[in-house]
Amino acid sequence: MSQRTERRGIHVDQSDLLCKKGCGYYGNAAWQGLCSKCWREEYQRVRQKQIQDDWALAEKLQREEEAAYASSHGTQTQPHSQASAPQQQPGHASLGPFSKFEEKKTNEKTRKVTTVKKFFSPSSRTASKKENQEGKTPSPSTSRRASFDTDQVSRDFVDFLKNLQKPGRDIHKQCRAFIVNMSSKKDLSADELSECVQDFYQGMADRLMSHFKGSSEPVEQVMDQVEKYIMTRLYKSVFCPETTDDEKKDLATQNRIRALHWVTIQMLCVSFDEEIPEVSENVVKAITDIIEMDSKRVPRDKLGCITRCSKHIFSAIRITKNEPASADDFLPALIYIVLKANPPRLQSNIQYITRFCNPSRLMTGEDGYYFTNLCCAAAFIEKLDAQSLNLSPEEFERYMSGQASPRFGGSEGDWSGGGPAGGAGAANPALAQLNHNLELLSSLGSRQEAVAEAARGLQADLLSWTQSVEREVHGILEKYPLEVLSCTVSAIDANNMDNDNLPPPLTPQVFAG
Amino acid sequence: MAAAAGGSRTYSFKVVLLGEGCVGKTSLVLRYCENKFNDKHITTLQASFLTKKLNITGKRVNLAIWDTAGQERFHALGPIYYRDSNGAVLVYDITDQDSFQKVKNWVKELRKMLGNDICLCIVGNKIDLDKDRNVSVEEAESYAESVGAKHFHTSAKLNKGIEELFLDLCKRMMETAQADERLKGNGSSQSASSRRGVQIVDDEPQATPSGGCCSSG
Repeated sequence: MSQRTERRGIHVDQSDLLCKKGCGYYGNAAWQGLCSKCWREEYQRVRQKQIQDDWALAEKLQREEEAAYASSHGTQTQPHSQASAPQQQPGHASLGPFSKFEEKKTNEKTRKVTTVKKFFSPSSRTASKKENQEGKTPSPSTSRRASFDTDQVSRDFVDFLKNLQKPGRDIHKQCRAFIVNMSSKKDLSADELSECVQDFYQGMADRLMSHFKGSSEPVEQVMDQVEKYIMTRLYKSVFCPETTDDEKKDLATQNRIRALHWVTIQMLCVSFDEEIPEVSENVVKAITDIIEMDSKRVPRDKLGCITRCSKHIFSAIRITKNEPASADDFLPALIYIVLKANPPRLQSNIQYITRFCNPSRLMTGEDGYYFTNLCCAAAFIEKLDAQSLNLSPEEFERYMSGQASPRFGGSEGDWSGGGPAGGAGAANPALAQLNHNLELLSSLGSRQEAVAEAARGLQADLLSWTQSVEREVHGILEKYPLEVLSCTVSAIDANNMDNDNLPPPLTPQVFAG
Repeated sequence: MAAAAGGSRTYSFKVVLLGEGCVGKTSLVLRYCENKFNDKHITTLQASFLTKKLNITGKRVNLAIWDTAGQERFHALGPIYYRDSNGAVLVYDITDQDSFQKVKNWVKELRKMLGNDICLCIVGNKIDLDKDRNVSVEEAESYAESVGAKHFHTSAKLNKGIEELFLDLCKRMMETAQADERLKGNGSSQSASSRRGVQIVDDEPQATPSGGCCSSG
């Protein structure tokens, strides 16, 4: 029995351990039975193939995009020639590109699977090398991945432009040309880049204006799509570019806001009553929205986040004050929200929107107004001083240095200083709860102490009481010593004086019987 | 920045509302856009950004009215607000001499920053409280004239003078826009210049506050 298991255990043929390529070295199961050298070669070959496949796919996609245009364009010109059956044609036409999109989708799916496989494939040791490889080859894989996110946007853009007949194709062509053009201008300064994009918007808007004969609504629609398409593609290269000090400003602002954590609603004169659940709910939503701004790529989407945030602020003010909010209410509230949220890369986002947003939206619309207010809030926070919070300079200095926290008025330790309570408690319900619990605990502790103290007192009292009782008894005993009176014991009748008066005792009478 | 378009042109104007807190800016603009005063049934969530569509002598006008925070501590932020605006409504309270002083500061600043491109309206609000008047009509009107602004007396409570004020402002902004167009010839260069205006230069707001302080001091 035991012999048999042993035999099974060592039943490994020497040849199984060797590299499958037969180079004479030992192989490793983790490298699919190859030795390290052969595995590396094999892996690189596969990887190269992958890159080539990616290229091919990219080119194919590109051709499809163009083809989708051509077909849609072609069918849209057809109805002109065959005016009798215009209904049938577009429906038929849309079938073509859609089926192609389907195909594209499945392509993407398989590609995704292979990438996942790649992740799980062995040799984490060669991972660093793999990256080096990637970096060295002028492969499109990195740019490819970035554009992977933008595929959806491109598709939407194509779909949208399809409705526009001939100019749609022109617009697409121009946008493509512009993006290619921009990618060659990477080392321009941010302002020059902005100038390029704005010139492009301007040119496009003018052309559209003349095409739509001055009606501004379709122009706006197209411009929105153009902005979305272009900026999704350019985002990586123009957001917070290295040529600017945006990043430094971001850090400065972030630290500044952190240092101002103690600012309260009362100091800013914000008309929020956070005791009301709806108000605090809106405040939380507003904070979420302003933080979300950083995750969007298109300037207009970023503006959308700011607008949503502002609407929540208005709701909160409306609930608190029961009247429409004026700018006097709104701006302090927005400042408060920004302070609480500390939105990531605030300055970069503001700069990005300013540089690359379609100007017509930024200047007149509601979005523009809220964006302007956000700029104001950022500027205010940057320059904020004692006066703007109605504090004395000394107080301001103390709060800034963390020596004191406004909520507890003075000497009490600051939260960051490890003290028991925090100034931010007013704003943060969890922290407030924590403070509350701490207070309860400490009061409980002191009460317990009091009980213990009282118990000890009681014990002492009891002891002294017994002693005192004892002492008293002794005292009394001493005072009144116990005297044992001798008493003469006599017959019961001895004391009876009038015995004589008693009748004689009855004598038994004998009856004759 | 009047977005003038082809045949049936539509003007879009941005008007900033300046004035100290409590002078009734909000009431004024709510009365104009919603025709309500201290009403519980005011439907709008906010009174800080309001729009009004007008038709003036056959021309369509979109008016965007930007309220600004009037407290002193936000004074330095003014330039960020009134950049690229076509008109400004400067409101003071006729019972409050200080608020009129503030208006004077703003006028100086606006003229300095935007020159004569901007149409100014100085508005004495709360004329229903005429018995408590502290700013004399003559003083206000002569001042307005001296800085090239129109002066109006309004009461948001009684709904007096408000329609007239905005109508006059719109007409003047249209004239300015038309003159601008004639000067610049075609539309494209005009809008190009408007575009340049939107670029927020970071040190600009820094520059103004000091100017504001000097002029107030």
